[in-house]
Amino acid sequence: MSSSWFRAAIAAVATIAVLVIGLALLGSFDTTANPDTGLVAGSNSFMLVLAVSLLVGFIVYAGVEFAQTRRLDSIARQFDTRTIVLMPIAIAINIVLGQTVGTALKIPLYLDSIGTILVGALAGPIPGALTGLLANLIWTFVLAGTPFGSPYAWPFAIVAAEIGLLSGVFGYYGFFRSRPNTSGPKLVGGLFVAAAILFGLVFYGVIPFYKGNFTFFGASPTDGFFTLVAYVIAVGLVVAVVALAVQLLVKRDLGVAFIVVCGAICGVVSALISAPISAFVFGGVTGSGADILVAAFQQAGSTLEQAVFQQGLLQDPIDKTIEFMVAFLLLQTLSRRFTSRFPQGERAVGVVEA
Amino acid sequence: MNPSAVAEPSAPPLTDADRAYLASLAPPATSPYQRLNPLTKATLATIATLSAFVLGGYLAPLAILGILVIPGALAAGALRRLVRGAALVSLPISISVALVSIFTRAGTTVLFTVGPFDATREGVDFAVQIILRLFVTAMALGLFGLTTEPHAFVVDLERRGLSPRVAFAAAATLETIPLMVERALAIQAAQRARGLDTEGSLGARIGGVMPLVGPVILSSLTEVEERSLALEVRAFGRPGRRDLLWTVPDDGRQRLLRWGLVVAFMAILVTRVSGILTPLP
Amino acid sequence: MLELRSVSYRYPGYARLVLSDVNLRIASGEIVGLVGRNESGKSTLCLVASGLAPGSVGGVLTGEVLIDSMPTRGLRPFDLAQRVGLVFQNPNTQRSGVTATVFEEVALGPVNLGLPVADSVERTRWALDTLKIEDLADRDPAKLSGGQAQLVAIASILAMRPAHLVLDEPTAQLDPEGTRLVGQALTALATTGSALLVAEHKTDLLDRLCSRVVAVDGGAIAMDGPAASVLGDPNFERLGVERPARYRIADEISAAGLTVPGAIP
Repeated sequence: MSSSWFRAAIAAVATIAVLVIGLALLGSFDTTANPDTGLVAGSNSFMLVLAVSLLVGFIVYAGVEFAQTRRLDSIARQFDTRTIVLMPIAIAINIVLGQTVGTALKIPLYLDSIGTILVGALAGPIPGALTGLLANLIWTFVLAGTPFGSPYAWPFAIVAAEIGLLSGVFGYYGFFRSRPNTSGPKLVGGLFVAAAILFGLVFYGVIPFYKGNFTFFGASPTDGFFTLVAYVIAVGLVVAVVALAVQLLVKRDLGVAFIVVCGAICGVVSALISAPISAFVFGGVTGSGADILVAAFQQAGSTLEQAVFQQGLLQDPIDKTIEFMVAFLLLQTLSRRFTSRFPQGERAVGVVEA
Repeated sequence: MNPSAVAEPSAPPLTDADRAYLASLAPPATSPYQRLNPLTKATLATIATLSAFVLGGYLAPLAILGILVIPGALAAGALRRLVRGAALVSLPISISVALVSIFTRAGTTVLFTVGPFDATREGVDFAVQIILRLFVTAMALGLFGLTTEPHAFVVDLERRGLSPRVAFAAAATLETIPLMVERALAIQAAQRARGLDTEGSLGARIGGVMPLVGPVILSSLTEVEERSLALEVRAFGRPGRRDLLWTVPDDGRQRLLRWGLVVAFMAILVTRVSGILTPLP
Repeated sequence: MLELRSVSYRYPGYARLVLSDVNLRIASGEIVGLVGRNESGKSTLCLVASGLAPGSVGGVLTGEVLIDSMPTRGLRPFDLAQRVGLVFQNPNTQRSGVTATVFEEVALGPVNLGLPVADSVERTRWALDTLKIEDLADRDPAKLSGGQAQLVAIASILAMRPAHLVLDEPTAQLDPEGTRLVGQALTALATTGSALLVAEHKTDLLDRLCSRVVAVDGGAIAMDGPAASVLGDPNFERLGVERPARYRIADEISAAGLTVPGAIP
């Protein structure tokens, strides 16, 4: 249908325009590598600019559709009544858990996205993204003045939207499915694939932020602190993979491997998007108890932007993997009768037997 | 027969008594500032917050506080409550900002030393500016929160074109959160009665929270099916606009104010970003 | 006229037929009781009659459901809302959660239908009047007793003036006081001209209210006839439902070899 190509074209133009302007503004076309860290200066805010430009593209698409037809059918179709009823509950889960567990217990986890992940998995990427967005906006604007309100939640609305979007995509491809009684060879194969992805993610997406130069474990003496951190990460990664292997052996459920990889990917992406926000708006503070890490990294010589990345890439993947696991367990516990009635329920969790 | 055709409207027009009753359903406004349209108040709060960040420095946030926030707070008679509330909310994060920035940020002029950590002037400068901006944010959004009924905000947005279903989702969240907290407390009491230790060491506290998460979430989720069916029999999700029982008034002057604020912000943004306006002290 | 013609239904993802070859007709103004043991298909019949199954719940329906001779196949629940209403057991989950007063809660249905404010107000007042709960109009819907909340739920559906009203065990989760309130409300409903289909275990309620009783067993209609003959049928208890008190007392009396003048049957 030509009108939706038209809308998509305009949205694409808007996305690219915002991308270009954003990158230009944040100096990210500079591709010379920083001699100290080996990082390209441009990579700092790239993920954030990309996320914002995608959001703008989406809004433009919706705006053009609204102007043409005075309705928003392509989006409204993904929102049936059950999804709409689920959203406030999911948002409430986000806010209650995020406010109490995250802040009150002082453990270095956010735990404020489990509702978003559930909506994404069951209803789709757009409802998931909207849930995340609305959760943060409601947290600030609608709950302002109540004990559960937080004036500092709204800058991270775009991170929450990205989490919902990714959850929807993962749900679409069935990554939330439990795969019990997987045969031995498949389990081992799955473990290898998962481990390979995790190692790749860590060594190419995470460790570069901690190393002076990019040779594995080769470092000049001034990089002592960072080398130590890199070792810690590598050891932590090995421990995580071993724990995953044990889980797989005990439960014989290959779905666990899928979820851990999904959580790690989402964590890394979230860290990359939220770091510039955290650095600019809050001076590097996240309010979740891990700020001491930012301080430590700055003390060791990183700039604020680098320190926030370094802290985020440690904390976010762990937090997101835990949250994805919780969502995975919840989805298994919910009856198939319940989940299958959601738009994406059967794709996400599998079909009812009998 | 067209299944979607609604019965012909046949009721006699509303009497003045009816209108007065419907108006009484709207949340009461106790001061001129509160009587402003919620969108106006939201625009004020948002522009104030965004401008504080775009302009940076010391002067701008204080000016924004003085021009956009304090007059409104005075008009609403809520200044003391607002300052107290904003200070309380921004205190934890300000402490974190101070600790992270003062001692560990790279800087040259050392003010004093605590152990291995040097407090630099650049660090203090940076921290104070951030804390100031965060305080302005808390004040601006706090003013919005103190003077606006969330329900009225959602109703107003729906009148302006927000889909009734999204409006429902936003409004329903308001009731869901306290209900969920009540449920969580009830489940926690039941678990404690069964011997679960929830106070004390960090390990005990974490152990006390995890068994709570599951039941609270699950019991909320299982209601979704019944709630959706009950809403659907009441024609929820029917496409089209609704004629709401009460609305919040708006007028030309407020519209002008809102657009004026937006234009002013755009101007600030453009001049600041393009470098025409140098950073303020 | 609400009509089910050869209706069979199964839930999505399940192979078992929950309803098989059900034929049922309810004329306007009729008050019909529906009885059956748990899992007999009572609730499913209510969902099918109101269009929620398969409209909202999914699943496969064979046969026809007609409202005033209009087939409901393919229609969404909001299309049917003003023709047939459904009241559930749980007063808490029927509360919308977005209204601050009972008046707004009851008005939610007409407002959702897109009616002008004057019509919504008139219908709301009428519904509150009919059920005699005008004094609750300014109360917070979240702070009512179970019986009061259920009355508000019934009023909310009534405000849409459906020609047919289905109630699925409306007193199941209420205490005796709440049951009494709802019983009175049902009597009031009977005067409005809507056809009522009331599913209940409390057969005393149906005995007082209904002119006709339908019994469901294993997904099929087992009995369908005037209330006295169905409730008095000697095979009634085989359905797994307790008969109204007066029938049981009459049985005990005749079993003891006594006669009491004026007792039934």
